[in-house]
Formats: sequence, structure tokens, C-alpha cells
Amino acid sequence: MTTAMSVSGLVKTFGSTRALDGLDLSVATGEVHGFLGPNGAGKSTAIRVLLGLLHADSGRATLLGGDPWNDAVELHRRLAYVPGDVELWPNLTGGEAIDLLARLRGGLNKARRDELVERFDLDPRKKGRTYSKGNRQKVAIVAALASDAELLLLDEPTAGLDPLMEVVFQDFIFQAKAAGKTVLLSSHILAQVEKLCDRVSIIRLGKVVQSGSLTEMRHLTRTTIEAETAQPAAGLAELPGVHDVQGDDGRVHFAVDGEHLDGAIRQLTRFGIRSLTSHPPTLEELMLRHYGDELEANGGTHADADAGTGETR
Amino acid sequence: MTTTTATRAPAPTGPAGAGSALAGTGTLVRFMLRRDRIKLPAWLLGITFFVVYYGAALPQLYRTEGDLRAISTFMTGPVGALIAGPGYGVDDPTVERLLVGIYGMYIILPAALMSILLVCRHTRVEEQAGRAELVRASVVGRHAQLTATLIVAAVANMVLALLIGAAMAGNGFDAGDGLLFGASVGAAGLAFAGVTAVTVQVTEYSRAAAGLAGVALGAAYVIRAAGDMLDEGGSALSWLSPIAWSQQTRAYVDGRWWPLALSVAFAAAAAAVGYVLSTRRDVGLGLFAARRGAPGAASWLRSSLTFAFRLQRAGLIGWGAALAAAGAIYGGITEPIVDAVEDLPADVIAVLGGDAANMLDGYLSVMALFDALLVGVFVILGVQLLRSEETKGRAEPVLATATSRWAWFGSHLTVLALGAVGLLVAVGGALGAATAISVGDAGYVGDSVAAHLVYTPALLVLLGVAALLFGVLPRAIGATWGVLGFGLIIGFFGPIMDLPQWVHNLSPLEHIARLPLEQLTWAPMLILTVIAAGLLAIGLYGFRRRDLETK
Repeated sequence: MTTAMSVSGLVKTFGSTRALDGLDLSVATGEVHGFLGPNGAGKSTAIRVLLGLLHADSGRATLLGGDPWNDAVELHRRLAYVPGDVELWPNLTGGEAIDLLARLRGGLNKARRDELVERFDLDPRKKGRTYSKGNRQKVAIVAALASDAELLLLDEPTAGLDPLMEVVFQDFIFQAKAAGKTVLLSSHILAQVEKLCDRVSIIRLGKVVQSGSLTEMRHLTRTTIEAETAQPAAGLAELPGVHDVQGDDGRVHFAVDGEHLDGAIRQLTRFGIRSLTSHPPTLEELMLRHYGDELEANGGTHADADAGTGETR
Repeated sequence: MTTTTATRAPAPTGPAGAGSALAGTGTLVRFMLRRDRIKLPAWLLGITFFVVYYGAALPQLYRTEGDLRAISTFMTGPVGALIAGPGYGVDDPTVERLLVGIYGMYIILPAALMSILLVCRHTRVEEQAGRAELVRASVVGRHAQLTATLIVAAVANMVLALLIGAAMAGNGFDAGDGLLFGASVGAAGLAFAGVTAVTVQVTEYSRAAAGLAGVALGAAYVIRAAGDMLDEGGSALSWLSPIAWSQQTRAYVDGRWWPLALSVAFAAAAAAVGYVLSTRRDVGLGLFAARRGAPGAASWLRSSLTFAFRLQRAGLIGWGAALAAAGAIYGGITEPIVDAVEDLPADVIAVLGGDAANMLDGYLSVMALFDALLVGVFVILGVQLLRSEETKGRAEPVLATATSRWAWFGSHLTVLALGAVGLLVAVGGALGAATAISVGDAGYVGDSVAAHLVYTPALLVLLGVAALLFGVLPRAIGATWGVLGFGLIIGFFGPIMDLPQWVHNLSPLEHIARLPLEQLTWAPMLILTVIAAGLLAIGLYGFRRRDLETK
């Protein structure tokens, strides 16, 4: 397996703000990689460095085997980009913008373009200034997906799309994946990343705080267990990795760290399990564990997040 | 509270239909004043500052009777008419007469601009941004927004009139005539507020609305200048321009108020047209629906160069048409100008070039400088368009394609350089052709085109300065206007200002031979071209090195 992009120790400052603070990121060829983080975490800055639009202060970045700054033009022939906030030319139609961007990249697949325009229900004859945000986004998505690029850099591409179009978008990402393309999908829509991505990197304050497949990450995180037992379960709270045990009579509710799940279930079985529901952590919970302290600082306390704070760092 | 509601409630059903259409006007006026609390005072004080400044500076500049005579001689005839006005009182000059008669033009123009932008800002910009919808959804009458805007514009221009009157009195000039001059400036502002009340109804886009009003202002200038060149004191043609009404008040000569009645009547009539048009359209829309465009890009639109052309095309066409029209008008009136000049006193003719043929050459060379300055405005606006491509986030997706920084920036610079040459040819050709027809000598076509084209190296230097700033210090790109403004001041007022030669040399336009009056000199043009190439190269290199500014 080859690497489509690898980034290490990337630093980018704007005045006194450190937008990227030693970012590490690795994306394998053919992988759909989720790039998760709240607004202002540095996702867009990282992508712009990878596009050679911004010059990093320090650190190394390699993209498709080239240097993003020096080899920008050659690399751009092989990739397509959807900005997070698409702006169009007021007096060019959407169709003109699509054709133009694709031609400047090195050509487009006409049939595919028409299919995309139709599937996304886009009116290509309207002038840029009359499009809504969602429609501007569609123009950029169509221009990117109509290309034969081997790498797609998508910066929150579906912000402003309605749920129906979101589904269409997912279809095309699956197609791209099937065609062996590499995708970096920045997002703060967890469900989208969960559905589409093979691996995920969570970025916060300019650093990747966690990276891996969702399975790997779930392993690192807590599973919530609710169980009904024949006799009241005891001794759970003393077990390593078990948190927030609550229960009365035959019901018990607790969270357990991934690596201690086995021990906790063994303990439970001694009291005769009648029913058991467990749910793996959602990306929401993954995020909350990493951003818990921020939420707390903002006054938005969350039980799971509180408990999780400081665990992995 | 309750009683107010009770008395107001029947209003919509009563005969006071007009009243309900104006509901909320008072609140909107206060709201607009609140939003403009910085901008409006800045405009008013800025314009007044120039009056104060000229009032203090001119007596220093023209210390003796002789100095005053020298400038007034220079300002007699077509040059003065072109750049200043009908020239009342220049035959017996005093400082205040010069201030009003020559510099007054440049007090009137900003006042008109202030009014255009003010009306646009509170009507069409609000609609385009969708904020008007929010306001109109509350208890606000159909005509309230336009009415409130016009009230604010009227108040602003009245305050401006008073401020200028006070400034003139403060400078020690006659207070009554000072107030008349102030009122003349305010009246021009009011007239263009009225014009803008019409233009904002026409299209959906605020920039087009302001642009249309700007075109009207430009047309008013051209008509006035042409009319004033035809006859000393202005001709019937001048009186078609709202700017002329303000200048025909003859403050400090034999002041008269009645021309301002025309301004006020014109403003009222224009506003009335605006009201009528506004009832024929929906909120947020123009009189004409936005047209649908091509479903795909034309086949020629496939490189960064053609794309740069596509983006600058509208500007090129607009400028080309406007300059060619102005050139044709200014060329068409050469014959009567020559006649008028022949009637001037001999000493004035001597200053202007000796005899009538020379006089025409001088006229062409002055027009060429004037047109070159206008093409300079096009050049700077073109680079500023590029800058807004970057800051508005439209450059980003293009530079993420296989378009290099050099190709992107270089393409626009190429289009602007070629565009500038094209505009010089267009305006020079139109002026020359009209002159040739007017005086019956085909030789003027070539003369005029050459007189214009020689300014190419100077305009390239201007483009180079803008490119350098864009590449290295993009936030300071507006400083290029300083270079152009300096060129204007040195070009037109330099001969009468007692400045050392090196100051003149700082303006790139000063190194260009004033064809056909002077001999063509190649060396300075070559040097300017080399300087321009250097500036452009540094700009390109700088842009390749710097971060793209993103949204």
C-alpha cells in the first residue's frame, strides 16, 4: 500500500495564531480519510498547505510523491479540490464555472459532468451571483467529481446541501472509492464521516489528536453497557477501566474502556445476564472526549465528556 | 401607548394611503444615520477639509497679482473648460474666484459621489444583501426605505452646504457667496442622489446601480466640459448637465441662486421617477429579470489567459465605449474651439501655443494626457479586481487547478496591458477621427492615435506599481491611486506650481513627449518600459512566494 499524502510536524502561524501546531497526517492511496474537527481547528489551513496555496512555516508535507509548494501545478493536474466556502464569479454561469475549472485542471469527462449536473439537480444556466450557498457548493462538487483526478481534497463539501443531495454525494464518493481514488474528506458532520471513511484523523487546535480506523478508535474508547441481571451485580466499580456504575435491583448501567470490556462482561455473567445492550461509542462521543474540556469551559457540561477528559493525554 | 395604537389602527383603511406607504420612515432615518455615524461625517468633513485646505494653500501659492494672472491665463480657454468649468472670474482673478472656478469642480465631484454611494448603500445594497426583506417585513411602508434614504441624502447635502459656507467664511472670504458655493456643491449632490434613486430600481445588483449612476456623472462631466469649451462662460450644451447648474451660480463673481432651482427640480423629478419605477417591481428584484446564461463555457474559454480576458471583458467594453464616446464628443467640438480661441486676446494665444494650428496640437496633447489618466484608472481598477478575486475566495479554486501563480497573475497583467493599449487606440482614434472631420484634416487621426499611444510606457509603469504591491504588499494596493493622482496634479497643475524639477520627474507621465506639440523622444519611453518590466517581474516573483489570502 502506497501513501497518497504524508505530513509531519507541519506548523503554520498567522500573526500570533498558531493555525497548525505540528500536524501529522498520513493517508494511504485508495483510502477515504475523514478529517474531523470543529471550525477553526485548522482543517482548511492544512488542506491549503497541501494545495500549495499557503506556505508552511516548518514541517514536511508530501502529496502524491511531490512537494505541495514547488510542484503545485503538476500535482494539481492529478487532484481536485472543493473549497469549504465556494465563491463563484458573479457574471459567469454555474455551467461555465464548472467547465472552466475542469479545463484549467486539464479536461473533463463531458458525460460524467452532465450526469452529475442532473443527479445534483443543478441549473447550470444561472449566473454565479444568483446561486444559494448550497448551489455554489454543488458547482464545485460537480467540477471536482467530473474530473479524472486520482486524489480528491474535499473541505466540508456538503455544508449547505440538503439531506437528499447529501445521499447523492455519498453515492459518488463510494463510486470514487470503488474506482481506487483517494479522498480526504474534511467534515464536522459525524454521520457522514462514519458512513464514508475508512480511517479518521481528529484535529484539534492545529494538531491531530487521534488517528486510525473507526474500529481502532472504538477500541480505545468506552462502550456503554446496560444490563439486567438475575442478582444485583456487584464488584463492577472496583474493576479496572469501569466507570460511572449506576444501578438498582437487577439493573446496571456503566461505561467501560475498550480494553477492559472482557473483564467487565465476565464479572456480569456471574450474576446471570437476562438482557444486555451495549453500544459502541459514536463519533460524537469520540469528539466529545477530545473536545470535552472546551465544552466544559463553555459551560456545556456532558457526563461522558467530563469523565473522558484527560484520559488519553 | 394604547391611545396611539388606537388612533393609528384605522389608518390603512382611511384615505391616508400615502401615509401607510411611508410608515416607519422616521425610524429608518434614525437607523440610517446611526449606521452611517462614521461614514457620513467622514465624507462631509473630508470634502470640507479640501475647501479649508485650498482656502489656506492658494494664497500661499499665488502670492502676487502676477501669480494669479499666470494661472488664470492658463485656465482660460479649452484646458480650463475641460478640467475646471465655465471660467467665471478668471479674467479678474482673486483667490476665492480661483477656488470656486477651478478647484470647485473637484469639490462637486466628491459630493456627487458621496450621494451616489449613500443612496445605493441604503436601498439596493440592502435589498441585495436580503436585509431589506427583514425591514420590509415589519411595520414599514412601501416607500419608506427610499424616502428615508432621500431624506438622509438631502440632510447630508444641506449639512455639506453649511459646512462649506462656514469654511469659506472661516477662510476670510465673503460669507454670503461662500454659502452660495456650498449650496451649489450640495445641489449637485442632491441631483445625483435623485439620479441614483432611479438607477437602483433598474437592476438587481448594487454595483450595477452605482455604476449606472457613475456613468450618468461621467456623462454630466463630459457634456459640461464640451459645452464650456464651446463658449466662454458655457454654452447651451453646458446647461444640459447638472454639474453646470452648480457652476453657473457664479459665486464670488456675480452670485445668483436661481440655477440651483434647476438642480432641486431635477432631483425631485428624478426621485419621482424612482418612486414610480419602484412600484413596478418586487423587493429584491430589478425592473428586468436576470437573464439566464450559457449552460457551459464557450470553447475558447480554456486557458488562464482567455479566462482573465473573460473576467476583464465587461470593464474593457464599458471603458472602451465610454472613452470612444467622450473622444468623439471632444473631437467634434474642435472647430468651434479653434474659432473661440482666435477671439482670445493675443497674449493668451501666445501662452496657449502661438497660433490656431499650434493651439489644436496643444489641445490634442492635453486630451491625450487626460485620456491616459483615465486609462490609468482602468488599469488600477483591473488590478484591484484581481485583488478582490483573491480576497473573495475566487482565486483559490483556480489556483488549485493546474494553473500556476505566474500564469494566473501574468494572464491578468497581460490582459490589462493589452487592454490599456487598446483603450488608448480607441479613444485616440475616436478623438482623432472626430477632430479630422471637424476641421477637415485627415492627418489628425494619426496624430491623435500617436499622441495617445506614447503614454503606453507610463501606463505600464503604473501597472507595474500595482503589480508590485499586489505581489509584495497586497493590502497597500490602493497606494497606486496616489501615483495616478500625483500624475494628474503634476500634469495639469504642475506648470503653474512652483515645484523643483525632480518632483515633476517622479510622475511617469511627465517623461512622455506631449505629441503632437513636442517632438517624439524614444529614450524616456524605453527607460520607462524597462522600469515597468522590473516592477512587474518583482510583483510576479513576490506573488509566487507569498501565501494566498483566503477567506
